[in-house]
Amino acid sequence: MNYDVTVIGGGPAGLAAAIAANKENASVLLVEREARLGGILKQCIHDGFGLVTFGEKLTGPEYCERYIDELLQTDVSVKLLTFVTRIEKNADGFAIHFVNREGAAHVQTRAIVLATGCRERTAKQVFIHGTRPSGVFTAGTAQYYVNLMGELPVKRCVILGSGDIGLIMARRLTMEGAEVIGVYEAKPEPSGLPRNLYQCLDDFGIPLHLSHTVTRVFGDERLTAVEIAQVDKNMRPIANTEKIIECDGLILSVGLIPENELAESIDVAIDRRTKGPICDQKYMTMEKGVFCAGNALHVNDLVDYVTLSAVEAGRNSAYLTNKPRALVHVVAEEGILYTVPSVLDVNEPVSDVTLYFRASRELRNAMLTLRVDGRAVFQKKYSVLRPPEMERLKLNFAQYGITTDSEVSLSLKEVE
Amino acid sequence: MSSFKKKQKKIAALSKSITVSEERGCIVLRGEADDWSTVVKAGRIAVDRKKYYGVVNNIRLKGFEQSIRLPAEHDDCYDGAKPDVLIIGGGLVGCAAARELARYRLDVMLVEKGSDVAAGQSSRNGGAVHVGINYSPSSQKHRYNHEGNKMFTQLAADLDFPFERTGHLMLIGAKWEKILINVLLLNAKRLKIDGARYVNRSELLEIEPYAPSWAYGALYMPSGGFTSPYKMTVALAENAVANGAKICLNTAVLGMETEDGRIRSVQTNRGRIIPRIVINASGVYADVIAEMAGDRTFTIHPRKGTDIVLDKKVGRYIRTTEVKSPITVIGDGQKLSLKKRIEMIRFALSHENTSKGVAVIHTVDKNMIIGPNNLETPDREDITTDRETTEMIIREQMQAAQQIASSDVIAYFSGVRSPTYEEDFQVRKGIFCENILEAAGIQSPGATAAPAIAKDLARWTVEYLEQSGPVEKNTAFQPIRKGVPHLNEMSESERDALIKQNPDYGQIVCRCEEISKGEILDALRSPLPVYTLDAVKRRCRPGMGRCQGAFCSPSVLQILAEKRDCSVEEIRKSGEQSTILLEKTKGKSV
Repeated sequence: MNYDVTVIGGGPAGLAAAIAANKENASVLLVEREARLGGILKQCIHDGFGLVTFGEKLTGPEYCERYIDELLQTDVSVKLLTFVTRIEKNADGFAIHFVNREGAAHVQTRAIVLATGCRERTAKQVFIHGTRPSGVFTAGTAQYYVNLMGELPVKRCVILGSGDIGLIMARRLTMEGAEVIGVYEAKPEPSGLPRNLYQCLDDFGIPLHLSHTVTRVFGDERLTAVEIAQVDKNMRPIANTEKIIECDGLILSVGLIPENELAESIDVAIDRRTKGPICDQKYMTMEKGVFCAGNALHVNDLVDYVTLSAVEAGRNSAYLTNKPRALVHVVAEEGILYTVPSVLDVNEPVSDVTLYFRASRELRNAMLTLRVDGRAVFQKKYSVLRPPEMERLKLNFAQYGITTDSEVSLSLKEVE
Repeated sequence: MSSFKKKQKKIAALSKSITVSEERGCIVLRGEADDWSTVVKAGRIAVDRKKYYGVVNNIRLKGFEQSIRLPAEHDDCYDGAKPDVLIIGGGLVGCAAARELARYRLDVMLVEKGSDVAAGQSSRNGGAVHVGINYSPSSQKHRYNHEGNKMFTQLAADLDFPFERTGHLMLIGAKWEKILINVLLLNAKRLKIDGARYVNRSELLEIEPYAPSWAYGALYMPSGGFTSPYKMTVALAENAVANGAKICLNTAVLGMETEDGRIRSVQTNRGRIIPRIVINASGVYADVIAEMAGDRTFTIHPRKGTDIVLDKKVGRYIRTTEVKSPITVIGDGQKLSLKKRIEMIRFALSHENTSKGVAVIHTVDKNMIIGPNNLETPDREDITTDRETTEMIIREQMQAAQQIASSDVIAYFSGVRSPTYEEDFQVRKGIFCENILEAAGIQSPGATAAPAIAKDLARWTVEYLEQSGPVEKNTAFQPIRKGVPHLNEMSESERDALIKQNPDYGQIVCRCEEISKGEILDALRSPLPVYTLDAVKRRCRPGMGRCQGAFCSPSVLQILAEKRDCSVEEIRKSGEQSTILLEKTKGKSV
């Protein structure tokens, strides 16, 4: 079979990309490894989704259902329970090899949209030591057990990390009758959205301990206790601040990592900071014909942004040309953690670019400055900027006269 | 002064509260010490391989009590069992012995206190199949390693466990360090180890394209390789069971009844067993079991090591197993005095050097393993990890594997080795007990040696049993065992054909390792099925990848529960207490 566009992943990014590509009359295949579409939203039964795109507060399943319903009205081919094993570059684009219950096969496609989402950092990746008991779960896995299987994995637990899923699970587990002793965060500021801090912790009387981490776990078989310690500026545990807390569960919400193993297998260049592919304003990666959207590109704080980026990626994937690219880097300078896109293709329109960025630390009264060849061409003042919150800017780069030789940079500085 | 007197004096200098005596051909230490290093030092001083069977070190560590992890089960389901052979310990040696003995028409019973085979060292090591170039020709380590290494190609083919003979490398950083390689090559000649040779940097880069920039050359030993020690144990165990052996998990030996130098019965948590002969393959507890039988001539001093598993993405930076030579000091190597150099070479070749050095290992699953370190510990079951050790290993290994970063770490684990003070295997017939065989002091290169050790254990068992009547060959013995297929290593057409026969092979459950539902079900269809998450992981790897089971463990749990026809709450991670799900959120009876 031949397709114009193959979308890999049937979560919010994949759904929106497939619909968008289909609207441009591309023949589209959507491949999803699970039995149902919707990705991680299936288990996100809390509300707050869709404020930007629909102006409504939806639950995760409601949000994705809108896109699933729309997708099913189209002639997009959908392959469920199908796992992409390998991508091969060839003269006509790419061969997507996959397996499913029917067999092992491949399809040919001109363009790919990678919408593979992200995974959670594990206990080992944050170097938790001690024994190897059961009872240590990532927040997403705990959420799967509670929300999709109706099973309680812990009765008295500690949550490490103040990422949004961790905060949401603190509330969820409390409502299901488990005791959440506290949320511990190694950083001096919380990682999650302020609304989740209020609604999930404050409203339920769950304490948040900043600059604290779990240093050890105990228990030969099931977890029996954790050791908590205060950490210094470099997040190293401070001696003699250790405290043992008896519990049967440790829930980890210590960060998400874009899943880009497929991208890496075809040598798509990865941004060290986002852990997602480097891409231009059309969401095309450095590999021609390979687009990327959603949390595979960078970890978003709102699903709405995932959808918006995927709509762009999907639409652009339908219009793949042989035109050579002329790339200009958007350099993230002082105060900027990263930008997406991080490059601009000046052979393509740059008049309507949505630029996402994160501050590298908490900043007050910060001035954002866009410079072209050293000249400040755009400025915007922010009263507060925090790394967990992603910012979005609409920019018309055309008016700044950017050429292939331009030096473009973005910076943030606190001002009086 | 006699050598005994000298030892007495040396030990007295170490601590006044230790007594030294000669008993039954052993040198025996008693008393109490404040710290573990004193206990180990005294044990080491006491060693005299020529004069004594071994060191019996009974020095107690003040305030330390060994806590033994015992199974929760207490019943009498094996009470009164009368096997011909009782094997204690379901690690590599025990399982290999069970399979060897299954070649005869014997009633073979293996007891293991863990919830699965390979619960100890056999699942907690890097899987190197050793060359053994630095062993002394008279050592058991040399004999069994040499023979075992040669058996691997055939055994891996028969039992369908992974094995690759990629060679091992010992890297040097400067020209003068070739002296050590030349000494080792002379030893290789004596030990009849084939193919070992010096390679210069350009030859090294052909073997190992990502060799570190400081590597001047290397000792290349083509007979080295790597296996998966736990898959190998499972393979041996499954084949033993398929040929009639009985493996009893969650069964711990609690005591023995002996009479006139004979074991009459063995007490377990599941009843009293009355074997004709016992094989002691109990790893870190080998001296405790030998003591029960009255046959103890040695002491196990636990030595802990931590290994670190790195993502497959960096697995391609190593093809073989690399160690830095023990005399190579990166950076300052050139400035050492001649005296210091000679001292280092001497130490490298001495028995005191118990380590082969921290290694960089390519694994059968294409990951990279770095480690392990060495730490003497009183606790035989201390498998904890700690920040300092893992950081130290990563720091040290970044010199040898220059491409790695700490963000590539996906897992780490510790294991406890079981050396004797003589630092050699103690594979022998009973000395003070006629119906026991000892397979003690087994640590590195135990995985390589196990098949050869098992052959001797089986031969001696048969010889002993033949004293009271003939032992017949098991003519139905089937040496071939088929493991779980690895679909992600197959061609598309092969894979397609298999999925057409069994659609479960096309349903991927573990995305990181690309493991299908069919492969998991195959693992559960084995002659030794174990329904825990860890057991499934050991057999076919779901959850061993970079997400560490975050995505697949709910699915694996459900497959296990369905297959066992039980609720998901009943599925365990490993042992009986290692619950995963506690109760339903809805529909509980109040």
